Amino acid sequence: MSKTQINEINRNIYDIKNKDEYEFKIKKGLTKEIIEEISKQKDDPEWMKEFRLNALEVYNKLELPTWGPDISELDMNEIATYVRPKTKLNNSWEDVPEDIKQTFDKLGIPEAEKKSLAGVGAQYDSEVVYHSMKEDLIKQGVIYTDMETAVREYPELVKQYFMKCVPVYDHKFVALHGAVWSGGSFVYVPKGVKVEVPLQSYFRLNSPESGQFEHTLIIVEEGASLHFIEGCSAPKYNKVNLHAGCVELYVKDNAYLRYSTIENWSKNMLNLNTKKAIVGKNAKMDWVTGSFGSKISMLYPMSILNGEGAKTEYTGISFAGKGQNLDNGFKVIHNNKNTSSVVNAKSISKNGGKCTYRSLVRINETATNSKSSVSCESLMLDDISISDTIPVNDIRTDEVEFSHEAKIGKISDKAIFYLMSRGLSEEDAKAMIVRGFAYPISKELPVEYAVEMNNLINLELEGVIG
Amino acid sequence: MQDEKYQYKVNEIYGKEMTMSNKLLEIKDLYVDAEEKEILKGINMQINKGEVHVIMGPNGSGKTTTANAILNNPIYMKRNGSILFDGEDITNLKTDEIARKGIFMSFQSPEEIPGVSVTNFLKYAKNKITGEPIKIFEFKSELKKYMEELNMNPKNMERSLNVGFSGGEKKKNEILQMLVLNPKLAILDETDSGLDVDAIKTVSKGIEMFKNKDNAILIITHNTKILNSLKVDYVHVLINGKIVKTGKQELAKEIEENGYSKFK
Amino acid sequence: MSNLKLNETPVRTSKNFNINNIKLENVNIPKNIKEFHNTNILTQSSKVKIDENTSKCKLTYGLGEILTNQVNEQANKNLKIVIDNKIDEEINVEFLFDNNNLELTDNIEIIANENSKATIILKYTSNNNIEAFHNGIIRLNAKSGADLNIILVNLLNEKSNNFIAIQNALEDNSKVNYTIIDFGGKNSITNYYSNLIGNYSENSLNTIYLGRENQLFDLNYIGELRGEKTKINIEVQGALKDNAKKHFKGTIDFKKGCKNAQGNENEACMLMSDTAKSLALPMLLCSEENVEGNHSTSTGKVGEKELFYIMSRGFNVKEAMKLLVRAKFNKILENIKNEELKNNILYEIDNRLE
Repeated sequence: MSKTQINEINRNIYDIKNKDEYEFKIKKGLTKEIIEEISKQKDDPEWMKEFRLNALEVYNKLELPTWGPDISELDMNEIATYVRPKTKLNNSWEDVPEDIKQTFDKLGIPEAEKKSLAGVGAQYDSEVVYHSMKEDLIKQGVIYTDMETAVREYPELVKQYFMKCVPVYDHKFVALHGAVWSGGSFVYVPKGVKVEVPLQSYFRLNSPESGQFEHTLIIVEEGASLHFIEGCSAPKYNKVNLHAGCVELYVKDNAYLRYSTIENWSKNMLNLNTKKAIVGKNAKMDWVTGSFGSKISMLYPMSILNGEGAKTEYTGISFAGKGQNLDNGFKVIHNNKNTSSVVNAKSISKNGGKCTYRSLVRINETATNSKSSVSCESLMLDDISISDTIPVNDIRTDEVEFSHEAKIGKISDKAIFYLMSRGLSEEDAKAMIVRGFAYPISKELPVEYAVEMNNLINLELEGVIG
Repeated sequence: MQDEKYQYKVNEIYGKEMTMSNKLLEIKDLYVDAEEKEILKGINMQINKGEVHVIMGPNGSGKTTTANAILNNPIYMKRNGSILFDGEDITNLKTDEIARKGIFMSFQSPEEIPGVSVTNFLKYAKNKITGEPIKIFEFKSELKKYMEELNMNPKNMERSLNVGFSGGEKKKNEILQMLVLNPKLAILDETDSGLDVDAIKTVSKGIEMFKNKDNAILIITHNTKILNSLKVDYVHVLINGKIVKTGKQELAKEIEENGYSKFK
Repeated sequence: MSNLKLNETPVRTSKNFNINNIKLENVNIPKNIKEFHNTNILTQSSKVKIDENTSKCKLTYGLGEILTNQVNEQANKNLKIVIDNKIDEEINVEFLFDNNNLELTDNIEIIANENSKATIILKYTSNNNIEAFHNGIIRLNAKSGADLNIILVNLLNEKSNNFIAIQNALEDNSKVNYTIIDFGGKNSITNYYSNLIGNYSENSLNTIYLGRENQLFDLNYIGELRGEKTKINIEVQGALKDNAKKHFKGTIDFKKGCKNAQGNENEACMLMSDTAKSLALPMLLCSEENVEGNHSTSTGKVGEKELFYIMSRGFNVKEAMKLLVRAKFNKILENIKNEELKNNILYEIDNRLE
């Protein structure tokens, strides 16, 4: 009897720990002196230094959230917020130090770059170590670089957009991000340029008791289009690591942006990430998210539909296993006429894991003739796990069509019997049903990532039904 | 129940034609409960290679329970008796093991499995049944051929298994699976129910395509329409959990005309 | 005048979503509750025992300490209803607010003993132009096999304040049906909590609300499934005109051990003006594998096709709207067998939709 699909992959590739080697690691904690030191180390322009110090003040004023998972184990005095790897930014893999390159090799990044990507960025701890993009895109005026280079070389663009979509006072961890951000990607797609092949940034955190705070800023100008993929992983340590990244997306009139994420942080990670998009007239923003890793995740990408006829779609899956509390979801604000949103959220809980779908749909007075439809489905794989659905629907005008559906249940015994009557073992039958359950999300991903996602599902299923 | 009595019954039903080597399925004195209610009360039956058997009976008589018991559906509890297939006791094997031995059941209401396409599912199942790698090209052309024969929309192949299929499409899909998986024994549970005349013809055609001297078919039905276009070797009348009469094709005719009242 | 924070949800979500509780400003909570005499109890049956020996209220949820304490300390109407047998006639309790009876804090305790059966109607009405204050607690204990049908009717005027907290405990095989008609009150704030402890216990809650002008409805419905094969069904149908606002918080919580339980929640809100507002939080919480939970919400205008169809049969817009609202409410109104009461409610629907 074959269980090959389940045994094929190996958690080890994500768990490879390199020696904690760095060129510079800031001491743990969060003080004005530490922020000033980070700013000095990063050679910030004056305005950025001021920005950081202001964000720190906001951080100190804001309270921790009074809802959601318990994050009291997070002690900022035990986190080093800046770790600079022992290399500069390279544009050839050859120049990346061997151990770091090997890590990305094993994660399949250079391989994917050759096969199916138009550009790649790779971050290791706090700094981007590799960045490259295909010639023809450079010629068309597309900019894809690390955030530090953008601050230096495109100060006007950065000043115009940086933390305007996600202001520092949004919540405490955004303020933290504003103070200590480092690394991340900057993408600018000029008017009318269609980037047919995806760009991908991969974020790897290797250093223990540290945090990653990358900033991703993407501007897709009028009529342009882009598919951006973000991947992340880290080896597992005993003490918590923190990820408080920030993603700001500007999708201008008639533009299209798809933002795909495969999140596979290690199970000691607190993933307190913030993602937001501002969507213009007749533009479309699609989110595709697979959330597998992290000890605790609080992540609610948000689309703000500002332009008339703006559209957004969210397709996401969370898979929580032992010791994981994944509090994920989506927020959408309809601000203009004829806007629409579609949400398709799924979750799987097993082995004592907890999945929460938390969301907001707000249709404002100004958003007449708008539509929103939300569907959530949760699968419970055993009776020690938890699955909660906490959606808020805030409808402020009458010219709307809004509907929301949610379902919770287990894998149907009848379906298992049906598949077994066709020769599948109970384990295979369950795995097939779970993969089918996740299919609406995996089909939205480029094929290599869909395969990776299926592998992750198999990996997660191992132990319960493997 | 004593063995002697059982042996007597088998002889009475099958007479001299029975030879051991041809024996495919044998059900001995089977008692089955469903939801703590006794449904089957001592079923005996023997199916040989090359034969077509029919179990008829009114609603609630235990027809579907018989099919599910053969495949050992865990929600049915066997209290007594045994089932032999190809000489091997399969009474307590798991459903998938039974399927891999070569028994197929066409479901009365096939389950919907979202996110798994018909093609991928069949490829996977075929691989499980045969234990051999599937040659994609041959597999696809075989599939295409069967689908044409069954008047199936080729687009259905890429759709999720049974999801959003009409009643007729689901039943045809079951017959397609039977043809692809090519079992030794096919159990067709109410495959004809709810189908219009054309669909019944197509299904019968599928059954004809499947039938050969080395396999066997057990048809479960409560009406006789499908029997008009199929040659049947034995008809069993199941009432209240017991086989009350076994006969040839004429028995089906008789039931069509007079119903079950005389057997009650 | 006080500012109040009431009706906390069992699980919090982001503060910015403004739904974890309801904040009321400048509400007149009387310090010393005056007497209330306009209570009319009608029952033909000698099988029901009614007295005033209620116990002190301890609520798992409730609306908030201030209001719960007020009932415990100053209740001006205590009502203990004990049902021992199957009673065919309805038990009717009516409270009428007028100039001399402006404040009611009622403590109602219903005990349905084993295999008993009854229908209890609790109706709150007020004269026009008074500012009534109602703060009530209803506790219900359905012993095994009991079958209870509770109809709660709020027809207060739109100047009054209406606060109700309900707490039900359901033992094995018991069945409790609630029908809530929630039409009245400047603020109408309800906390409803059912604890399905017993195996095979079933609870259904059917609500219709109708808001106009500046009315505010805050409905916080919580069902906890603990016993095996328990069932809860929450159905809420409402319509909002003018500047009316509704907050619906519905929680179905599958607690560990509630094997084979089922929970359904359906909420539909018809918006009849572009300034009416609907906020909803339909929660499903689940710590048990073998369960089935569903919820659905829909919000929007009256369908234009439906409206056109009705109007093509000779009705004007207003009439057609009334008809459609009535149609949506009809299924729930069918639970009310008392024709007089039903007509009374239908009249109120028409009247409030004018």
